[in-house]
Amino acid sequence: MSTSIDIPAAESSAAAKGKAPLIGTSTTSHGGGYKKGIAICDFLLRLGAVIAALSAAATMATSDETLPFFTQFFQFEASYDDLPTFQFFVIAMAIVAGYLVLSLPFSVVAIIRPYAVGPRLLLLVLDIVALTLNTAAAAAAAAIVYLAHNGNSSSNWLAICQQFGDFCQKASGAVVAGFVSVVVFMLLVVISGLALRKQKN
Amino acid sequence: MRGHSYKYVATQVKFFIEKGKFLLIVSNIRMSIVEFGQAKGLTSTPNRGLAIVDFMVRLLAVAGTLGGAIVMASTEETLPFSTQFVRFRAEYDDLPTFTLFVVVNFIVSGYLLLSIPLSIFNIVRNTAKNTRILLIIFDTAMMGLLTAGASAAAAIVYLAHKGNDRANWFAICRQFNSFCERISGSLIGSFVGVAAFILLILLSAVALSRRN
Repeated sequence: MSTSIDIPAAESSAAAKGKAPLIGTSTTSHGGGYKKGIAICDFLLRLGAVIAALSAAATMATSDETLPFFTQFFQFEASYDDLPTFQFFVIAMAIVAGYLVLSLPFSVVAIIRPYAVGPRLLLLVLDIVALTLNTAAAAAAAAIVYLAHNGNSSSNWLAICQQFGDFCQKASGAVVAGFVSVVVFMLLVVISGLALRKQKN
Repeated sequence: MRGHSYKYVATQVKFFIEKGKFLLIVSNIRMSIVEFGQAKGLTSTPNRGLAIVDFMVRLLAVAGTLGGAIVMASTEETLPFSTQFVRFRAEYDDLPTFTLFVVVNFIVSGYLLLSIPLSIFNIVRNTAKNTRILLIIFDTAMMGLLTAGASAAAAIVYLAHKGNDRANWFAICRQFNSFCERISGSLIGSFVGVAAFILLILLSAVALSRRN
C-alpha cells in the first residue's frame, strides 16, 4: 500500500489568514484584505495631492498685479518673480506635482500586488523627500506672505499688501493650497508605513 | 477465510505503521520548522542594528534642534553707535518668524527627549510593531513642524541678507553683522534635525517591513 503524505497546507493558511473580505477582484491566492483598501486610499489621496500641488503652483505663478495708477516713469506692479522665495515656491510645487503624477503607476502596482514590499518602500522614501520639499517651500512662502501682510517696524519693512491687495490674496491662497498638499503627504507617509507591516502568518 | 483475515490484519498493521511513519514525518517537519524559525531569529540582529542606529540619530537630532533653539534665543546685538536716546538694537523677537522658530525647536527637542525611552524599548524588543507605528506617526508630524519652522526662518534670514528692492525692504545684515551670523548658524542645527527625522522615519518603516 503506497502512502502519499499530503500535508494540508492550503487549508491551514487560509484558516490562519482569517475571513477578511476581499475588495475588488484579486488574481493572487491571498487576496489582500485590508492592505488593498489601504492601497486604494493611497491612490485616491495621491490624486487629491496632485490637484492641490498643481493649483498652488498655478495660483502663485499667475498672481501678478498692476496697480491702476501710474506716473510717467513708474508703473506699480508686483509679480511672483519679484520675490525669490515665491520663485522657489512655484518651482518646488511644480516638482512635487510632477513627482506625484509619476508615482501614480507605482501606486497602482501596489493595489494590484498588496503584499509586495518593493514598490511600497520606494514610494515611502520618495514621499518623505517630497514632503520635506513641499513643507519647506510652503513655509518659506508663508513667512514672506506674513511679512507682506504685517510688515515689521523694527527693520523698517513696509507691509506691501496694503497696496497690492489682489496679489496678496492670490499668494495667500497659493500658500494655503501648498499646506493642504503637505497634510495629504503626511497621510500618505503614515498610510505607507501602516501597509508595510508584516502580518504574523 | 483465515487467509483473508490474516491479510486483513496485515493490511491493518501496515496501515498503522504507515500512519505512524506519517505522524513521525509530520512531527519532524514541524520541529525543523520551529528550529528554522529559531535559527532565523538570529536575523533579528539587523532589526536590533536598525534600532540602535535609530537611537543614535535621535540623540543627534536632540543636539541639533536644542542647539539651534538656544543659539537663536540668545542672539542680540546692540550697535556701537547707539546714543543715549536712539538705540540700534536687534533681538530675535523683533521678528515673529524667529519666535516661531525658537518655539518650534524647543517643542521638537522636547518630543525627541520623550521618544528616547520608546526607542530604547524598540532596541530591547525587536518585534515591536505598535510602538514603531506610533513613532512613525509622531515623527512625521514633528518633521513637518520642524521643517516648516526652519524654512520660514530661512526665508527671513535670506531676506535679511539680500533685502528686496521691489518691496523696498532693506537688508539689515549690512548693519547687524554678528546678529546675522548667529541666526544663520542656528539654522544649521535645525536642518540637521530635519535630515535626522527623514532617516528616523525611514528606519522605522524598514524595521516594520522585515519579517521577524
